[in-house]
Amino acid sequence: MDDEYTAGYREPCSQCSAVDWGITDECHFYCRSCHNVIERTRDVEDTGFVQGGSNKISSIRKGSKKKLERGHIWMVCEGFQFILRNQANALLRLGVSPQFKDDVLCPLWRLFLQKSRLAYTSNPVKSSKFRVQDVNSDSDSAAESSIMSASATDGESNPPSVADSNAENASDYSGSMDVSSYLSARLRRKRSPLSMMKTLALIHLALVWSREALTLSDLLRLVNEGHVPYVNAYEQLPEEMKVVGKDALLFRVESIPSHRVVHKEAQALVLFLQLPAFPPVTCETLLHPELLSLRYLTDTNLPDELHLWVCRLMEQAGMADQTLHTFDPHSCPLLPRYDVQTAALIIVTMKFLFGLDDHTEWNLSNEVGNQSDSGDLFNLRRWYRLMQTALMRAQQRRRQDIARKQWKAKKLIFPKNNGAKRTMMKKKRIAEQVQLCFEKLSSRPAGVQEVSPSSFRFCWGDEEGSDGPSLHHMKLDGVVSQKHNLLTPSNSTYWHPGLKKCDRRRCPSSHYSDMEPTLPRSFVWLLQLFSFLLDVKPSDLYEEVLKVERQVIGTKTHCDVSSRKKKTRTSARTKSSPRTLERTCLTGGESGKTVSDSS
Amino acid sequence: MDDLDRELGPYEPVEDFSDFSVDNSSKGGTNVKHPNVNPTMCLETPRETGFHRSTRICLEQIREAILHHRWQEAAEYMACYPQLLEDTCLPLAQQNKELLWRISINILHHHPNSTMEDYNNICERMKHSGIRHHLMICLEHSFHLLLHGQAEDAKWQLSSAESWRHGKESAAQHQRAKLIQAYRSLLDYVIWCDKRFSNSNNYFDSDNQGMHNNFRQASLNLKDILKSPGVWDSFILSYTDMLELYDDHEEALKILNDYAYNNNFPPNPNAHAYLYRYLKRHDASEKNLMRVLKVLHILVPSHELMLDYSTLLLNSENEADIQKALGIILDMLDFTCWRTNMDVWKCLKAVIQRLEIQEDWENFVCEKMALRKDWWPALHFTSFHASKDLEENPELWKVKASLEKVLCPKQTLKYTADCVTNGKRT
Repeated sequence: MDDEYTAGYREPCSQCSAVDWGITDECHFYCRSCHNVIERTRDVEDTGFVQGGSNKISSIRKGSKKKLERGHIWMVCEGFQFILRNQANALLRLGVSPQFKDDVLCPLWRLFLQKSRLAYTSNPVKSSKFRVQDVNSDSDSAAESSIMSASATDGESNPPSVADSNAENASDYSGSMDVSSYLSARLRRKRSPLSMMKTLALIHLALVWSREALTLSDLLRLVNEGHVPYVNAYEQLPEEMKVVGKDALLFRVESIPSHRVVHKEAQALVLFLQLPAFPPVTCETLLHPELLSLRYLTDTNLPDELHLWVCRLMEQAGMADQTLHTFDPHSCPLLPRYDVQTAALIIVTMKFLFGLDDHTEWNLSNEVGNQSDSGDLFNLRRWYRLMQTALMRAQQRRRQDIARKQWKAKKLIFPKNNGAKRTMMKKKRIAEQVQLCFEKLSSRPAGVQEVSPSSFRFCWGDEEGSDGPSLHHMKLDGVVSQKHNLLTPSNSTYWHPGLKKCDRRRCPSSHYSDMEPTLPRSFVWLLQLFSFLLDVKPSDLYEEVLKVERQVIGTKTHCDVSSRKKKTRTSARTKSSPRTLERTCLTGGESGKTVSDSS
Repeated sequence: MDDLDRELGPYEPVEDFSDFSVDNSSKGGTNVKHPNVNPTMCLETPRETGFHRSTRICLEQIREAILHHRWQEAAEYMACYPQLLEDTCLPLAQQNKELLWRISINILHHHPNSTMEDYNNICERMKHSGIRHHLMICLEHSFHLLLHGQAEDAKWQLSSAESWRHGKESAAQHQRAKLIQAYRSLLDYVIWCDKRFSNSNNYFDSDNQGMHNNFRQASLNLKDILKSPGVWDSFILSYTDMLELYDDHEEALKILNDYAYNNNFPPNPNAHAYLYRYLKRHDASEKNLMRVLKVLHILVPSHELMLDYSTLLLNSENEADIQKALGIILDMLDFTCWRTNMDVWKCLKAVIQRLEIQEDWENFVCEKMALRKDWWPALHFTSFHASKDLEENPELWKVKASLEKVLCPKQTLKYTADCVTNGKRT
């Protein structure tokens, strides 16, 4: 009975921070969880009304208040649309061209809604529960068709939904109205048609389509650093859209998906949407390995001259062709992973030039160091030392950032159950107070320090705060020489693990963990460097390196079950008579043990 | 005396009261020094969410900082850690609260800038965050207040904890409630002591009503608590101290006897020592005193009171008692802690002198030394010991040198002054 009077008072108790007020016999408020009596008394006005028997007034007051708490009726896809819009706007603020949002993402989103029968369809997905609320189906279709035609021209409008027409009939007001249909047993088995991760996959597809210079790892980094809303993105929904109860299962985010998972999702999405061929990714596009590699070389402080060799390698392997880098349902049905592929290309180039077998590269460095005018020459050992310290520092920093990252929202998604809601609020408040106490004590706010968005992880040069001196202008003369009027690397051997392809379904586990101890340390270190740069698993990058090597060296033997063992055996470093890279590519390579010399 | 069989069992040292804290009740295992952290919290799992990864790494960073006493860094990470409470994975909720509480107070305890206010703040929050740990937090809080000399506040904390009721929970924490009561009474005693020394002229003035009140409050609980088995050393001391002042010797003696000889209590050498000292203060008969010490000798042969025991035995006329005294002193000297103690050696000399009057004393000494003859020379009578004793305490050297031939007659030992002078010359 007290609740009637105490409902309006939502201040936490000063003793135990619970919000659970009762009223004592003397009309004082007291906290039910710690029995602390406070100054506040029951409103005298209220008593007057009740005694006067004016039930009407109180009921009206109650009603209006409830309505305010309830908010508008909204559909789950509307919520996702808002989030997607916020994410796109954030990208526009970061400098992505405006066409990206209006001309690419928006139609893509509409296509998705239509294909998944969430909107723009005469046959929407409905769950059993949803159908009960859906009383007058006649007006539904009418309203739907009218809104559909209207919204097709208006990019910002919400998708038409069957909910709009039966708003008055719906019994359950708070929260999105169709969340249960997303979570029904039938749909959960196939996974919900909409999820927070899908927004990232959609944005990634749109970015690739508009050929923006943002790779998937860049996008995920922006998400991770909070420049693109993702964690607790629902907080930015309009005030009237209350996120309550089961909505949490769709909108609450407790991790940022990995590169691999989002790529897989995007790949699935591209097939689901039956998209036509993407605009070609030519050499001039920033996504093309030719230009992307330039960025990665700069970031890793490798000499600019190396870019020539990367391009040369691509040319030799026939990888510069734009059709290889453009998604096409017929010729290139796999969505390329531009970032990982480019990193793999750089690694293969490094292997050609320096060997990376734990001997050749150090011998080369010694030779360079022994030369009299070595000041201008690129020395791998020096680069390694420089890079290693920077990498350690950056890894440390990333670890600290992970530890300091705050995941929980200011605005909670409350369960519909009142008791659970109260405990949740209490927990939140206690966490806040403890946090406040320690923030005061350490005089440092919780959370990760804001950093301005950058395409680079490292900073090289003489300015303050850089990771070390820049080696970009260094010459590769120590490791390449003129032979028959052609620049040729002085390293003539090339090692590689067995290149037989494996059937993913038959051996799903990555071979990298088996192989890692047998691989040369310098190669493993390089893998780690680039996987840190892109925030992918070293095993993913390793697979990609193998893929590039297959293309370069040209072995295309298929792996059957029995040869799995063999593969690990042949993975040992192999050596044979040198052969020209050109010839290997032309002949297609008949053996898996190819060791080649660059032309 | 007939309760000895239990006392003679293997003796396990009870170092610290808090270690003994009545923890059998709680499944979590809440040893103050080693919070029982579920190992899964520190391990990476394949399907770990980003949130869990953050809290796991944050915990690792905090632990690292605490281990290296970098309190500022620990506090910085601690500010990022409370989000753990909002974990939606419910089974871990209780454990998380405990973890947060223990780490917070540990950091606050050591951080140079932390204030009592912060500490009170955190304790109050955590007390009300979960009922499971309410009593433990109250106890911890009052200990912290005591460390800062706020005995009255600490007592107030415990009193309020004493009156805390929470349905079934308070029944489940029955033993912790007991502990709270015990400490509250101990604080009553502390306050009683303060009052006693501040107006020491006349205890039984009407002005001292407050002091008597404290006594009543303390004694009521203590009497009750001392009935349940456990190690109650400091509690029993304060209780008997109060009883002594109010001349209730019977009760005090009864309590002490019970504490020493009750089979339900864990074996506790202190209990016998307290009983002995109490008896000695009140001039009990030598026979009584020796009886207590005999039990103590069986429990702890190296106890300092064994010196008293052998002196008592020496005083008696009985020949057998002198022989017993020799055994006790030799037992003491088996322990390195008494190796250079003048009193023990002197006592041994006195015992030997008394023995020498008896017939056949040499055989008796040989018999006692039979087991020791292999290792005593190395323990007491090497040339190194001789030089060290000569340097540090020549008198001790004299006593030991005179006993050497008696204890080990057939062995040639190097416990002489010669080698020392030789050594110095070279």
